[in-house]
Amino acid sequence: MPLTRINIGPVHPSTHGVCRLVVDLDGDTVVKVEPHCGFLHRGVEKLVENRMFMQCPPYMEKLDYVAPMSVDELYVSTVEKALGVEVKEPAAYARLILLELQRLASHLFWFGATCNDLGQMFTGFMWGFRDRDIVLKLLEEATGQRMFYVNMRLGGLVRELPPDFAEHALSTMEYLEKRIPAYRNLVEKNPIFNERMKGVGKLSRSDAIDLGVAGPVLRASGVPYDVRKDVPYYAYSALNFRAKSASEGDNFARYMVRMMEMQESIRLVKEALRKMPEGSAMGMPIKLIIPKAKNRIAMVSRENPRGEEMMYLVADPEKAYRLSIRAPTFINLAALNRMAEGCRMADLFAIFSTLDLVMADVDR
Amino acid sequence: MADNENARKELERLLAASVGDREIKPNVMFAKLSELTKAFAKPMVDWARVNSLWPLQFGLACCAIELMSFGSPRVDAERKGYLLFRATPRQADVMIVAGWVTKSMIPEIKRMYEQMAEPKYVVAFGECATCGGPWWESYNIIRGIDQVLPVDVYAVGCPPRPEDLYLALMKLQKRIGGKIED
Repeated sequence: MPLTRINIGPVHPSTHGVCRLVVDLDGDTVVKVEPHCGFLHRGVEKLVENRMFMQCPPYMEKLDYVAPMSVDELYVSTVEKALGVEVKEPAAYARLILLELQRLASHLFWFGATCNDLGQMFTGFMWGFRDRDIVLKLLEEATGQRMFYVNMRLGGLVRELPPDFAEHALSTMEYLEKRIPAYRNLVEKNPIFNERMKGVGKLSRSDAIDLGVAGPVLRASGVPYDVRKDVPYYAYSALNFRAKSASEGDNFARYMVRMMEMQESIRLVKEALRKMPEGSAMGMPIKLIIPKAKNRIAMVSRENPRGEEMMYLVADPEKAYRLSIRAPTFINLAALNRMAEGCRMADLFAIFSTLDLVMADVDR
Repeated sequence: MADNENARKELERLLAASVGDREIKPNVMFAKLSELTKAFAKPMVDWARVNSLWPLQFGLACCAIELMSFGSPRVDAERKGYLLFRATPRQADVMIVAGWVTKSMIPEIKRMYEQMAEPKYVVAFGECATCGGPWWESYNIIRGIDQVLPVDVYAVGCPPRPEDLYLALMKLQKRIGGKIED
């Protein structure tokens, strides 16, 4: 039987941005998926070369707009490494708390979007977004903005955490702790969800390592690699943190890993709030003339909600000579073909959505 | 072709023969009726159009996340008749351009705009769609969607809050006219 070639996108409600897929079908079975990206390319790496170090965080936040704080923090810590600036202990804890809250918001967004992609399970979308708004409210309290926070300065934060932040964060965490079993109860007994998730889109352990996928996609294939655990930064080594992984490598395993990570994040935030030392979390005031770069080359990697993101900076004294970004989403997108081989056409977007892609991060 | 021509000529000849020398007047009653219905229908059509703006489900970049929040429970878009987002341009009235427009996206956006049925409106949502935003220096970005499409309302902010989209759509309703339900 001759193959059918179908074009999907670039504008499609389930592609989470602007991505074009060219799918070869044999009947209803996917033979090959070819992603075409680049519709959102705007040359961030080039723009950064013409700006001073601390003018750039707003550009970095737009890379991963579902979890802006994590990319912001990654860039600032790369610059910190180049300039040789130390992060004080209270600031490290405050950053950790904000990062984990951001991870929660991002995973809740993923939950909502995935429920929507699986054929109009709109209740899941509504639940996910309602609770994401609650976490965003908390972040807005701490930073003053709803989506793009620009809250990191060299050595700390722009402003102190508000005095009642700990209290609000604890009550929110307690609320979310009750919500996550409710989510699982909502979807895991749903036959549509199970059909689309269990045993679909398998990625074996060796394939996952060969393709270099990152984050929950990697951990769901049985590789318990988490930067927070293996190369701990900030206070992760001081906290009781376990990397979550599953072994099946299918859509359901990726869903489970994210659900477990949400629970782990809630626990981490609570523990960090308890152990947080007294003191100022303020960073250096923003000045365009900052200490000159000491190290010519700095490379930092962080466990972002979408996986291990890495920045490689070659520094001139006052600005970046070259900044290279290793985006986890770009590499996860490359694994789509391997995962979708042999699945049904209707399952393609279930697989696509469990990759949790942000196209702006792919295209840069 | 020749047959059609002959048939038309035959019909004209028959018509002329049947009318003869009589003078034909326009049908006064029907003309007045149609004016009357127009006069009655226009406010009603406007009212319906204003209160059921269906946006296109079309997200480009960051602002699309706020666009999704617009449909989420905290800011419930359905209260005002901005119904469920349509995934096909043929069913949509409003195109909300949420995000930066790269040069490779221009043909796609133009094509979608052309697929939408008249009357159609465009909202430029966010800095990038308004003027290029932070990417104004970039080599692959056009500085605002208004260089390509006629924009009715701009919503500024980076990103604008979902409430700002509310405001923008209410401004659009005022612009379209008709009675607005508060």
